Amino acid sequence: MKVLMDWINGRTGFDKIWEALMARHIPEAKGPVAWLYTLGSASLFVFTIQIVTGSLLAMNYVPSPEHAYDSVRYIGSEVMLGHLIRGLHRWGATAMVILVTAHMLRVYFMGSYKYPREVTWLVGVGLFLLVMGFGFTGYLLPWDQKAYWATMVGTNIAGQTPIIGAYVSKVMKGGPELGTATLTRFYATHVLILPALTALAVGVHLFLVVWHGISEPPTRKRDDDLSASGT
Amino acid sequence: MSEPANEEEGMSRKTFLGWAAAGLGGLIGLTLGGAGTGYVLSPAFQKKDEDWVDIGPAKAIKPGKPTKVDFVVRKRDAWTTSEKRSSAWVMTGDGEHFMVYDPRCTHLGCPYRWDDARKQFLCPCHSAVFDVDGQVVSGPPPRPLDRYQTKVVGGRLLILPQAIRGKA
Repeated sequence: MKVLMDWINGRTGFDKIWEALMARHIPEAKGPVAWLYTLGSASLFVFTIQIVTGSLLAMNYVPSPEHAYDSVRYIGSEVMLGHLIRGLHRWGATAMVILVTAHMLRVYFMGSYKYPREVTWLVGVGLFLLVMGFGFTGYLLPWDQKAYWATMVGTNIAGQTPIIGAYVSKVMKGGPELGTATLTRFYATHVLILPALTALAVGVHLFLVVWHGISEPPTRKRDDDLSASGT
Repeated sequence: MSEPANEEEGMSRKTFLGWAAAGLGGLIGLTLGGAGTGYVLSPAFQKKDEDWVDIGPAKAIKPGKPTKVDFVVRKRDAWTTSEKRSSAWVMTGDGEHFMVYDPRCTHLGCPYRWDDARKQFLCPCHSAVFDVDGQVVSGPPPRPLDRYQTKVVGGRLLILPQAIRGKA
């Protein structure tokens, strides 16, 4: 075992990578504040669950108006543990939105987005939008009443954009009406485009997190006179 | 790397958290991996549906003379159902025991017919002849007519339209 590990280390520098990623120094924080630092990792963790469960669901899902609803029902009723896998993906989606939002608020209110971490923040905002995209496109896929009308509302909201609204709405729907082309379009976006972009952005985001290190929790100077600060 | 053992048992907070993370992670991994494995292997545990087809009251089949019955086979394929028109030859001697023949000749699959005058099944393609029990009388067929499983439930005749190779 030792020989094997040494062999791998000698060729990959794995111990150095491990040290940089896992054994790096992080700021000291206690209590609830310390927990706030876990939100990013939690988002990443839920994202991996979404990848696993989503890949499994894709095995039995067909993005066409004839089959979408029935194939989703088939997953829930006929496939062993299908109900659990779909449940994980569905609740994972909700958890994802909550976690990334909480993570973003943490970074914002602690001022962690400031120099030199602006790029980390910007990529993070991109990731937030990608998660919103996942939520919006994934919501249509079960092709039930709720999915249909929610997407109708969503695309109509986009249609309210001044001047280009009509075009935006048509491009989103893949045609003048919400239908077959919308479903395939949303599916391709949900399972191909967004995951690829997200993987890329997560890679950049994590690299920057490790590169800059984690920011300290903000502290208030003890001898500060609040009344004199002018705010 | 040696950690200062600041606990009495000699396990540092860092070591404990490391093990806790590994343990919980392993548990979650096992649960997710197990569920995923079950999901993927699900087809191995699915029972094939036995698609018995109701072809009408058993009394409707007159004893002694083969009757051709048409029926619709509903085949389930995952969440879809396909319908296929099909037929079979039903023969009964006593109105209680039934023989149901696949409607294709065992030579090359042509549809044969019952010749009431000769009391034989005749295939138009290559002059195959079968008797009333499905045995080959003359012609090229390699084996007797294929059969379907049958059962009578509540006075109705049910068949399972999957050919069982006829044996001489």
